[in-house]
Amino acid sequence: MAYTRKDVSTLTGAERRRFVKALLEIKRKGEYDEFVRMHIDYYVSDGDGGLRTAHMAPSFLPWHRRFLLDLEQALRRVDSSVTVPYWDWTRDRTATAAPWTKDLLGGNGRRSDHQVTTGPFAYATGDWTIKENVTDGEFLTRDLGRAAAPIDLPTGSDVDRALQDPVYDTEPWDSTVTRGFRNKLEGWGTGSGSAAWRNHNRVHRWVGGVMLGGASVNDPVFWLHHAFVDLLWTRWQSRHREHRYLPAEPPGPTSRQYRRVVARQEKLPPWDVTPDQLEDASRIYRYA
Amino acid sequence: MVVSADGVPVTAVPAVTGRPGTARGARRRDLLRGLLGAAAALAIVPVVTASRPSRPVDGGPTDSFDETYRGRHIQGVLASTRTAAAGEVRWDITVDGRPLHLMRRADGTWLSMVDHYSSYATPLEAARAAVDGLGPGERLRAADPAHRDPHMGGDHGLHP
Repeated sequence: MAYTRKDVSTLTGAERRRFVKALLEIKRKGEYDEFVRMHIDYYVSDGDGGLRTAHMAPSFLPWHRRFLLDLEQALRRVDSSVTVPYWDWTRDRTATAAPWTKDLLGGNGRRSDHQVTTGPFAYATGDWTIKENVTDGEFLTRDLGRAAAPIDLPTGSDVDRALQDPVYDTEPWDSTVTRGFRNKLEGWGTGSGSAAWRNHNRVHRWVGGVMLGGASVNDPVFWLHHAFVDLLWTRWQSRHREHRYLPAEPPGPTSRQYRRVVARQEKLPPWDVTPDQLEDASRIYRYA
Repeated sequence: MVVSADGVPVTAVPAVTGRPGTARGARRRDLLRGLLGAAAALAIVPVVTASRPSRPVDGGPTDSFDETYRGRHIQGVLASTRTAAAGEVRWDITVDGRPLHLMRRADGTWLSMVDHYSSYATPLEAARAAVDGLGPGERLRAADPAHRDPHMGGDHGLHP
């Protein structure tokens, strides 16, 4: 029986408590930091060599789908009622809206050092000391909206521009493609300045603090953000039913992308699963 | 919900059991060892990187920089051109004496571990953006532990 992932703004008080409690429990057991490490390890940029699975690649969406399923499975081993809620940042757009409340993820970082001091993930609780980081910071940091040079979250029309593209992804299957749903949603633009940060990437920047860097998983909002990104993939699939994950076949030996991207029927490291098998998760969970 | 082009339901995700991919300690290391074969195979693939010489900033030199930006000491030096034919370029950069790892995008722009979701035309701009992304008083780790083991065959520049 498929379970339901809900809009975080609709969770009851009990659902919020249980979600938070499960997160704190896997953090206490050390499992959570493995997710942080794994996300760092699998960030391979497209100007460097090697196979890209998690970012700047067609498998950005299935990789994070499976990553979320693993986290959700860890949470459900603690409390089988828990599912990962999603944060619809096209609707909940302020630093005081869901999920930035004291009973959920806590609020913005304080001005002096961007430290999150409210809610269950505040450093002073002793429950959320950051172990895997690119800086020496041990506390969760946020700079919601980027106070020094404010930016807005992506809008519904930004998301629509991605959803309207009927093609999943296109050559050269990296961060430079300007067509295709995947990169329009992942959000690698061209040029510099805030116009170049779109959708998924822009949300990481809007949250700021640890969410801006390689250790972004340290902020639990990572999962709520990626659940919404995952939901958008299901919306795209519903809208373009005749279209599927691309590439269908691996790029050949003469291609620059030879062995650097995962085709539909190829294994998606580190799992024994293919994008083809991850395209439909409706038997596991559905979005409400 | 989702059907393939021929109207047949697409294979559902296999039931997620255990904790694949996120196993702790020994299991994870086993997993990584298992991937080394694939990584070795990938290592022989020539790295072809779109190269764009970094533009001089404010007319300065293109092979090094040393400045104080928002109270932080940024230094960078062009470290190597490992394979001239591929035009691959590596920079060694520090912020307040601590290493800042940069990655390169296929369009030749740069991103850092601190600012991972956008990229910049030059290593100096990426270093400044990393400073912008650091919280007040926050410092990089003494030795960048991230990407210590680029097991997917991707050379992240830390292991020449």
